[in-house]
Amino acid sequence: MSENPYVSHEARILEVKDLTPREKLFTLRFVDPEVGENFNFKPGQFVIVDVRGFGEFPISLCSSPTRKGYIQLCIRKAGRMTKFVHKMREGEIVGIRGPYGNDFPMEEMEDSNLVLVAGGLGMAPLRSVLWYAIDSGRYEQIWLFYGTKAYEDLLFRDEVVHLLKHGDAVNCKVKLAYEVESPSCVYLEKGFSDRVCRGVVTDLFRGEEFDVENTYALICGPPIMYKFVVRELLNRKLSPGRIYMTLERRMRCGIGKCGHCVVGTSTSLKYVCKDGPVFTYWDALSTRGLI
Amino acid sequence: MRYIKLPSENFETFFNSLREWGKIYGPVKKGEVYSFQEVQGAGDMALDYNRTMLPPKKFFVRPRDQILHLKNGRWENGVDDERFVLFGLHSCDIHGLKILDKVYLGEPADPYYKARRKNALIIGISCMPDEYCFCKSLGTDFAMDGFDLFLHELPDGWLVRVGSVRGHEIAWENEELFDEVTEEDIQHFKEFEERRASSFQRKLSKEGLADMLDLAYNSPVWKKYADICLACGNCNMVCPTCRCYEVCDKWINAYEAVRERRYDSCFMESHGLVAGGHNFRPTRLDRFRHRYYCKSYFDPSAGFNCVGCGRCDEFCPAGIEHVKVLDEVRGSLQ
Repeated sequence: MSENPYVSHEARILEVKDLTPREKLFTLRFVDPEVGENFNFKPGQFVIVDVRGFGEFPISLCSSPTRKGYIQLCIRKAGRMTKFVHKMREGEIVGIRGPYGNDFPMEEMEDSNLVLVAGGLGMAPLRSVLWYAIDSGRYEQIWLFYGTKAYEDLLFRDEVVHLLKHGDAVNCKVKLAYEVESPSCVYLEKGFSDRVCRGVVTDLFRGEEFDVENTYALICGPPIMYKFVVRELLNRKLSPGRIYMTLERRMRCGIGKCGHCVVGTSTSLKYVCKDGPVFTYWDALSTRGLI
Repeated sequence: MRYIKLPSENFETFFNSLREWGKIYGPVKKGEVYSFQEVQGAGDMALDYNRTMLPPKKFFVRPRDQILHLKNGRWENGVDDERFVLFGLHSCDIHGLKILDKVYLGEPADPYYKARRKNALIIGISCMPDEYCFCKSLGTDFAMDGFDLFLHELPDGWLVRVGSVRGHEIAWENEELFDEVTEEDIQHFKEFEERRASSFQRKLSKEGLADMLDLAYNSPVWKKYADICLACGNCNMVCPTCRCYEVCDKWINAYEAVRERRYDSCFMESHGLVAGGHNFRPTRLDRFRHRYYCKSYFDPSAGFNCVGCGRCDEFCPAGIEHVKVLDEVRGSLQ
């Protein structure tokens, strides 16, 4: 059974937490301790969630491998499958197979500065990087630029607001941008006028200077965001090889067979599930349709 | 390579001896088209066929395939262990299987494909090109491997190339049916291949093709053909190298479900759709262009993703011709 790469492993839901009206955080642990022991993932990788008898969907891991014993998935209610999962409760079982895809080069980036740029749900995979970086303590300055539609859409609100207030102690500078005004935003903006603003995520770059020789940028967000963020980073002379982004595509198998995530043209054809989901801006320049 | 001769009078006995391996599937004429079907006798087959509608991929990546069975809340899977013979594959289709091998046997291997591939005895057969074939341009007109035995037509029998250990074993077990190859046979083989090489009517100019197409991303030719295209996905179904599949779970009763995969087509709007409704290939133009890019992708280690079998042309209801589209796109650069 275990040799079949399409068969998932049983995982129990330990906790379900509402993050926003649309997103929930699921904390899971593998039923078989041996499977859990062998499940080694890296920030940026994803898993396929198997709701037996209903279907499968890919989702990025939002917990960090530095925190062992469980995995966390931030799931937005976006379709039939995720709607079903949102109804699941603590103690219930789902299937998990993976981890799949490549990852952010955390080791290569050690002793460097990290600029994490998240848009909306893009915060999920970057949370894995963020906690990895903070827990390991092997990185210089960490910036988190996080843009959402409204305060209510802020994922991992407690953690993010905590880091906004106390992040400097762990070399993490959090900046938030929102589009729709609300009392909570105004309150935050009053307290942290240099870190919270109304606008889009690229507005957060204002006033920030990076040491281009020693900084990596990691981006995740809706498709429209990449072009603008990349432009902002290139304006600051960051090398395309130091700009990493993680992409979303329809994935059925996760192992480069089903063909749904193929991007590119006759000179460069890539499977996002296998060759990605993490790509550099160099990859985007040579593979049309990547961003 | 080992070469032996199968005289015409021994053909039927040889065919019947293959039954020991398993069920035999060969090209059969049905109305105006050919298809690979189970055959009982050598006479059931139409060995002078041009091309079947569905390529042999249907035996390995099935149009509908139940991969997992949910029983008592757990998945069960069973890979096929039935051996079978594919008799009379053309060189292009053998190359098509090699391209599928690269995908499905690449780590981690697809267990269903792997088992079926292991169980299949592949017997190739020589052919004469028709007006749709352009395999010669892609170098897939001759198979050097990927088969167990390959039969080349001679006036009085078949020149057999032995391509695998399994092929050797079969020849060994049927030793009495085969003769040594004579000088005359070699002469006939040479003549046949030369006549075949000069019979191709269609040619794809592939020099720098991948880059030319990439450079012509915004060519109006894509739009011209995308407007004619019916987006039916026929070309995907009949292509020996198209292998996209969709997966769905189905309940068969209150306690049991199956996970089934089935052919998908990049011409369908749902192909590039992700959660939340964003589509990475929203227009027919995007999808049309994508298929051509996928087929013309040049992998330095495996060549193009197209084997020039001509199926997409023959079975396109809109009459779109693959080579013509590529030539026009390339031409639009000047």
